[in-house]
Amino acid sequence: MADAALPVESLAAELGAIVGARHVLTRPSTLLAYESDALPGYHKRPRLAVFPGSQDELVAVVRRLAKDGLPFVARGAGTGLSGGALADDAVLIGVQRLRRIIAIDAEARTATVEPGVVNATLTRAAAAFGLHYAPDPSSQAACTLGGNVAENAGGPHCLKYGVTLNHVLRAHVVLPDGELVTLDRGDQGGYDLLGAFVGSEGCFGIATELTLKLTPNPEAVLTMLADFTSVAAAAEATSRMIAAGIVPAALELMDQATIRAVEESIYAAGYPIDAAAVLLVEVDGPRAGLEADANAVSEICRAAGAREVKRASDAAAREKLWQGRKKAFGAMGRVAPHLVVQDAVVPRTQLAALLNDIASIGERHGVRVCNVFHAGDGNLHPNIPYDANDADESARVHAAMQQIMTRCIDAGGTITGEHGVGLDKLPYMERLFTADTLDAMCTLRETFDPARRANPGKVVPLHSCREWNGLPALRGGASS
Amino acid sequence: MNTEEMRSGLDACVHCGFCLPACPTYLALDDENDSPRGRLVLMRALLDGQVAPDDPDVAKHLDQCLGCRGCETACPSGVPYGRLLEGTRERQRAQAPLPFVARLVLAVFAREWLLRPALAVARIARGLGLARLATRVAPHALRMPAAMLATTARKAVAEYSPRGDGSRGRTALLTGCVMEGLLPALNRASERVLAENDFQIVEAKGQVCCGALHAHAGDTGTARDLARRNIAAFEASGAEFVAMNSAGCGAMCREYGQLLAQDPAWAARAAAFSAKVRDVSELLAVAGPKPTTPDATHPTLVAWDAPCHLQHAQRVVDPPLQLLRAIGDVRLVPLVDSAQCCGSAGIYGLVQPEVASRVLAPKLARIHESGARVVATANPGCLMQIGSGLLLEGSTVQARHPVELLDAAYARARQTD
Amino acid sequence: MVRDASGGLRIRGAGTWMHVGAPVIASQELHLDAFAGVRRYTPGDLTISVGAATTLAELDVTTRAQGQWCPLLPWGDDRGTIGATLATATTGPFAEALGRPRDLVLGVECVDGRGRIVRAGGRVVKNVAGFDLTRLMIGSWGTLGVITEVHLRLRARPSADVTLMVEGAASEAMRRFVHGALPPLAALPLGEGIARTLGHAGPGSWLLRLGGNAEQVAAARAALARLGACLELAPESWDIVRRELAPEPRAASWPWTPLMQRVRAAFDPRGVLNPGLLAERAA
Repeated sequence: MADAALPVESLAAELGAIVGARHVLTRPSTLLAYESDALPGYHKRPRLAVFPGSQDELVAVVRRLAKDGLPFVARGAGTGLSGGALADDAVLIGVQRLRRIIAIDAEARTATVEPGVVNATLTRAAAAFGLHYAPDPSSQAACTLGGNVAENAGGPHCLKYGVTLNHVLRAHVVLPDGELVTLDRGDQGGYDLLGAFVGSEGCFGIATELTLKLTPNPEAVLTMLADFTSVAAAAEATSRMIAAGIVPAALELMDQATIRAVEESIYAAGYPIDAAAVLLVEVDGPRAGLEADANAVSEICRAAGAREVKRASDAAAREKLWQGRKKAFGAMGRVAPHLVVQDAVVPRTQLAALLNDIASIGERHGVRVCNVFHAGDGNLHPNIPYDANDADESARVHAAMQQIMTRCIDAGGTITGEHGVGLDKLPYMERLFTADTLDAMCTLRETFDPARRANPGKVVPLHSCREWNGLPALRGGASS
Repeated sequence: MNTEEMRSGLDACVHCGFCLPACPTYLALDDENDSPRGRLVLMRALLDGQVAPDDPDVAKHLDQCLGCRGCETACPSGVPYGRLLEGTRERQRAQAPLPFVARLVLAVFAREWLLRPALAVARIARGLGLARLATRVAPHALRMPAAMLATTARKAVAEYSPRGDGSRGRTALLTGCVMEGLLPALNRASERVLAENDFQIVEAKGQVCCGALHAHAGDTGTARDLARRNIAAFEASGAEFVAMNSAGCGAMCREYGQLLAQDPAWAARAAAFSAKVRDVSELLAVAGPKPTTPDATHPTLVAWDAPCHLQHAQRVVDPPLQLLRAIGDVRLVPLVDSAQCCGSAGIYGLVQPEVASRVLAPKLARIHESGARVVATANPGCLMQIGSGLLLEGSTVQARHPVELLDAAYARARQTD
Repeated sequence: MVRDASGGLRIRGAGTWMHVGAPVIASQELHLDAFAGVRRYTPGDLTISVGAATTLAELDVTTRAQGQWCPLLPWGDDRGTIGATLATATTGPFAEALGRPRDLVLGVECVDGRGRIVRAGGRVVKNVAGFDLTRLMIGSWGTLGVITEVHLRLRARPSADVTLMVEGAASEAMRRFVHGALPPLAALPLGEGIARTLGHAGPGSWLLRLGGNAEQVAAARAALARLGACLELAPESWDIVRRELAPEPRAASWPWTPLMQRVRAAFDPRGVLNPGLLAERAA
């Protein structure tokens, strides 16, 4: 490739002239922190890292890289769980300095933001208007909205309010070749290229500005914690609730291993540590009729075998219950040094059967599966804590994960509900999609990025793209 | 910390990134190398020999850590960040000495015979108005320290005789180096409000600097020496409680047990000492504290800034608020990001003045947004950092210790009796 | 209207595209009749898979039997097919409250202009695997691919479902109600003509649909009763409204950006799918 000849120092100097020398990192020791995101165990060394401080600087950086055909990877807060922000010898473009909330239109219920704005910061800013940004990934205190859009992030409250896709109205995007485009939903005609862009994992370009939908805060919220003596009973309660047509704002399941990790942490929420599983159920909406919904939830839980259904007495108690759930992934660090995190989705009628199978797959391989997930969506997060330095244990963990994923695909499910494919789930793509479908995905990517320089080696295995077969892999490219 | 402990502490990090928004230097500098997650990566690299021990970038980013430990109360997996940082700094010190300014300051603080005269000179300069003058005319780099000094000036307060009955137990105050040197009025106020609330005040003669500054800088040897002298002094006083009005000292004294855990002669004594440590607000919260009558006509709007070493290190959250609520003419107003570091952090302001002021900027902005006339905080470093920031801005908002406010309220109540 | 023609869209091509992946350039009508009917329906999952030529009426009958619905209810009538509704991304009066086509479709099967059989998305309610060809196909008017099967998210029908005509309410008060704590499923200010068609000729009248549990709907009704005179109508009133008030199709005002032209060229390089429908020559 042409880029190989360009010394890092002279590129750094040119990028430094755009963003300020302080905001370009080239030394190996300063790039260490940018070698990984929140997917444990993966490290890739970026060629250099650059941090634009304005939309214009971001565009200028992308154009400079386009001039030499250099591959790049966009990164927000590095909280992704699929390795999507790993840059293998590519230029890493961090957008965390682009954190202006440009406007909040309370009347239209929209916000216009830069991609580095932290999810929770937007909700905090919108609170003054009685509004909030609905998608609430567990990492919302840290993750950026640009990253949320790239991954089509979900979160507990997406059960009722929808995922990121349903909350993005417009995006200004700099394409990998430096062209600026405005993408919308096609409400006034035109292809829904915004829909294609959301969830494209940084492969289609970088959003420079986003217009997002804000949601009115509900008049009332009731949060309940139902306590079960078996995971199957909790799963059964979930399936019955969905089948009964109740749409809670959120419906989350945590099993005993997860409950214990949380209860040992600073986010201890008062979950019963002897329960085999708990369901965290929230109903919200107009005050009128909310009590009836909450009662229906309680009855279904009890009928499915819940020992107790408690209600959060006030906002503080509610917040505590939620903090425990949202920090559960981090709390797993207490169990073992490393962690495999999965994100499969299965039909909701099959939850109990799937969880049962997952448990027996875990037993067969002698690994401990901890479940904490968005039960209402059927979005499983089987996590396996382990020690990566133990080769035998690592092999067993990865074998178990593979079987779990295969089982979920066979049940008519998918491999990722909100974390993205990234690097981590590439091996499952060919099992999930036909060759034609993967080839069509490649076609879509190439309309945005013909040279495939944006986040190379992610999402779709390179060899799935017929037109790319036979071409030499890019530097930083994938497995082929 | 031995290598094994370091490694297991580092292993607890799952790289989730929840610490990023809790880190004042990450928010001020926008570089993950200046975040807890990034610094943990650097600590591990140092430990594994992946980077050279004298790598200037690694040193820079670790030195830029305030040690506020705001990340610890954000971390779901319980990474002992503060201890890992001290462990790393201790190892770094073995490789490369601290900058000259830092070494000088630490040396003075470890020696009473140097510290007392130094602080006396500072008091004289302050008394002559030189400090306040220097905030306007001194070279830029000196204005902040001058303002810090100027902000410790206090008008004489009306004294009163506490009426408590001493029934709550023998209590000795850690008078501290900076506190006794520059803010002695605050120590007297602490003693009076404790006495008013039925604590029996005894003196712990021979006490010295708590050693926090030394421990944070990686000079654990000196910190241990100072700890032993303090433990002996307080044992001799017969106190049941060791009262703290400085959050930084309180956090350090609570950790004497860990600091001397490997010293067979002192481990048990240190643990017993640490168990007696209480923030003044905690003692007062247990006592009530005695409220003063509200002055409905002239309420003072007060915002509470939670010092890192109280909130994150000692996990003392509610007692200071209880104390402030007991003051009749105080109306508490919420301070956004109250628990976020102001950038003070011991001698940080002297070694990293630029970062310190970048970290301070959002704190000052939040204080102004709150509409408060007084910002209450419970650590000398924070009082001086925030106070100097306000002074340099020309703001009339004052930084005060909650105990000072309570003491003044008791004094006023006594006058109207 | 396009939807009325939707038993067989003007997709031009040859029957061979299905199997060999080589589109024949010939002017022919492509009839999708074979792709009609429910393929898979698990009511407990609240998802359904149907052939693209399934009519909205059939979808409604099937789901109603389980107390569910596909709440797209687009402008036009229920003789139209789900495939055409999605291909044209036609919304309806319920779009704000219950979702647009892009919000309610979980996956599509289609044949693109290169003859590839594309199975995009999936049948589960949350899915971010791979690039989103589903959203790309929705609203593309068949110019990128011919939709043959769709997987939809369903909702439970609200236990209380009331359609009201509100007369004499101040428009600002109605606007506040619609954006308030008890949002309706749909709210439509009615012109005189349509009001008369519905049998009520008051000026400034609104048609509202309230849904939820009994208490919520009762509370909403009570709030509306304070704003104007309320008259309960049959839910079929909405069918009339959807038929009578259907807006012009957006294909007429298609904005061809360079990126869109590249997308079209990439998925239908020979221009065999509905050529000319979106006036691409003019672009």
